[in-house]
Amino acid sequence: MKILIDGIEIEAQFGETILEVARRTGIHIPTLCYHEAFGGQGSCRFCMVEVTKNGSSRIVASCTYPVNDGIEVKTSTPQIDKIRRNIAMLLYKRAPNSLFMQTLYKEHLCTENNLVEDPHEKCILCRLCVNACATMGASAISTVMRGTDKRVATPYDDASAVCIGCAACAEVCPTGCIEVQEDNNIRRIWNQDFTLVACEECGKNFATREQLAYIMDKSKQDAPATELRFCENCRRKVLARKLETFNG
Amino acid sequence: MGKKSKKKQVLVCCGTGCIANGGLDVYQAFKNNLGELFELASSDDIKATGCHGLCSSGPFVRILPDDITYCQVKASDVEEIIEKSIKNNELIKRLLYRDPQSKKRVQNLEKVAFNSMQLKKALRNVGLINPESLQDYLDRQGYQALRKALKMKPEAVVKEIIDAGLRGRGGGGFPTGLKWKACQATTSTPKYIVCNGDEGDPGAFMDESIMEGDPHTILEGMLICAYTVGASKGFIYVRDEYAGSVTALTKAISDARKNDFLGEDILGSGLNFDIEIVRGGGAFVCGEETALLASIEGNVGEPWDKYVFPTEKGLWGQPTVINNVETWSNVPLILLEGAKKFASTGTAGSKGTKVFSLVGKVVNTGLVEVPMGTSLRDIIFTIGGGVPGKRKFKAVQTGGPSGGCIPESLLDLKVDFDSLNEAGSMMGSGGMIVMDDRTCMVEVARYYLQFLAGESCGKCVPCREGIRSMLEILERICNGQGCLEDLDLLEDIGESVRTAALCALGRTAPNPVLSTIKYFRDEYLEHIVDHRCPAGVCKELSEFYIDAELCNGCGLCSRNCPVDAIQGEKKQPHVIDNSKCIKCGECINECQFLAVKVR
Repeated sequence: MKILIDGIEIEAQFGETILEVARRTGIHIPTLCYHEAFGGQGSCRFCMVEVTKNGSSRIVASCTYPVNDGIEVKTSTPQIDKIRRNIAMLLYKRAPNSLFMQTLYKEHLCTENNLVEDPHEKCILCRLCVNACATMGASAISTVMRGTDKRVATPYDDASAVCIGCAACAEVCPTGCIEVQEDNNIRRIWNQDFTLVACEECGKNFATREQLAYIMDKSKQDAPATELRFCENCRRKVLARKLETFNG
Repeated sequence: MGKKSKKKQVLVCCGTGCIANGGLDVYQAFKNNLGELFELASSDDIKATGCHGLCSSGPFVRILPDDITYCQVKASDVEEIIEKSIKNNELIKRLLYRDPQSKKRVQNLEKVAFNSMQLKKALRNVGLINPESLQDYLDRQGYQALRKALKMKPEAVVKEIIDAGLRGRGGGGFPTGLKWKACQATTSTPKYIVCNGDEGDPGAFMDESIMEGDPHTILEGMLICAYTVGASKGFIYVRDEYAGSVTALTKAISDARKNDFLGEDILGSGLNFDIEIVRGGGAFVCGEETALLASIEGNVGEPWDKYVFPTEKGLWGQPTVINNVETWSNVPLILLEGAKKFASTGTAGSKGTKVFSLVGKVVNTGLVEVPMGTSLRDIIFTIGGGVPGKRKFKAVQTGGPSGGCIPESLLDLKVDFDSLNEAGSMMGSGGMIVMDDRTCMVEVARYYLQFLAGESCGKCVPCREGIRSMLEILERICNGQGCLEDLDLLEDIGESVRTAALCALGRTAPNPVLSTIKYFRDEYLEHIVDHRCPAGVCKELSEFYIDAELCNGCGLCSRNCPVDAIQGEKKQPHVIDNSKCIKCGECINECQFLAVKVR
């Protein structure tokens, strides 16, 4: 099917979202809760666009709206810009001390107002961490509570029995609000301590013991394979050496 | 007891409101006493029925065929009722309903103003049958609509529903027939039928009264749809608090299974369909259909974008028809009386009737069912009997917590889906809260936003953060710390939330704020500029005084003042000591002469 985004005609496939089509065409639509690994959540509403079909227009979330034949998309209109400005403003008020939100606040030309700012909050509830954890297969964290009390946590804020301490949540977090402390060979995350394992080649800590056990379990291996003994960098070196011996 | 044709029947209202006032005790008293006297206790002639509607005067006892209705009956009245009204056809005047307009006692409640303008369609059986009796339902054409539908082609059934112009009663007002048609057109199986019984609006109990009072009609509606779209499984999602509904529906489902109305090859038609009850977990947002579906699936009750309708991808990604309780109860009626008859009631865009729960500052509170297009004035003043006491009507809030407040100037508005939307409010599921001049509209907006702040699912930013910010501003205004820019900010954020929020809850959440700013802007300005709450509700902005000209020194205010802040000689004007006053407003509420005022 053919669709129009900002006046550009694009061939789109059934099942694609507007955002996916725009991204692969190089058209920028700003997002906060979207990650290509997890797909659209429709929760931040930052990617709203105007869709016109058969003469009638509506504002939709581009990350969840499936393309259909003949739609015309505008990625920026005064109304959409205002929505994005308000979202940036509201999230900045929620997490004013996050550099990420400070930048976004300026980028979207937000104006001063007297809404209270929370100096202690850094999370903007984009839920990328929750998605990352679910995708890793652990699902140790989720959103808890509802309404304005909603937040991300482990069940009852206790140490989670299924957390493997991989810190994928912290890795994907745009505001850096998930605390990961590392001291000697101990990683502390989500109120829980994990023992770090050192790379056999360079000696650098590269994963938690639970993480490696989890991978072994998932890949049904009894003993740590090469990939599980070395850090990401050394793994290449080791493999390269192996190949040399093989060739020679 | 007379001839058999004149055999008396006693209907005791055992709706939730009447149970709270001792309805079950009254019913038991009849069972105990009447049983001995007339050997009736085991028969169906003493019925515990669903809600009679006029909840403010319950518990009700209705005696047929004489059609005598007694109000506010206590168990201790039962013996007298048996002696006088059942044995001797005598009326007990003191138990008759006193019409607030004419001040006269009325024998037949159907003839009072509260009932005269009503048209019971969705509630046609509620209050008349024992909800636990399948026979009672069958006696009132129960399952006849299903039998009729099973003889029709599925396409013809859908056409009937489309022609009837039935729109979803849960709030959205989407044409029911088109929904069914879309689901019918899908080829993927299995398909599901869902009944939304997660009625969560504060003060609303329309759906509860149907689930409790006439459960089979819901099953019948769902069965007709199942046959029409080719579904094999149904779910009724019942709000957690509605224990009575669960009981009634469980019994109805069990009876329906035993009598070939649910299960395999229903009535020899080849239709296989069964229904399961799912209890909600107490989240208001699960009344939103996609959140409800997520909840049935066992996931967190959060909505998803409905760019693809549930009729195509609903429960577990399969085609699903989801309708509200009241919608389902209209379905058998359409099949029975025909689309044409159904569509003869209502307005151009909204056909049939709508049940409202009329509550708040109104004389007759309860359930009312009126044709679409009935004016607000008729509902509130003719049926509801107006505002009690000497207070004045100020606004009516329709559509639940995220509805809007409609002012006196729009009282002649003909109520239907479209007119309420145009007025900045909505039909919602039919909540109607009447407010008098003791209501502060800023505080009303604050109250609803506080409710929504706790009941939003918190998934999308506009709803969660928008409500949080609007609530913050409203709290500031109520505390006397508002500024003029706050109004612009409220409108600016409100507009964004209205367009950008994920689900209907979020998109309508700004309604209480935007509608009160639209119609009661002066009241906001009084709070902000004059630091005064004219209704005397916001404590920081209220100071009470007694108008010496109006006060006759009756002393009612000083006797009711919890902190002894009011002094005065008998028959002399009283005075409020503002250093002691805690601004609870008791004196204003008690004064019969409107002498207590807000400075």
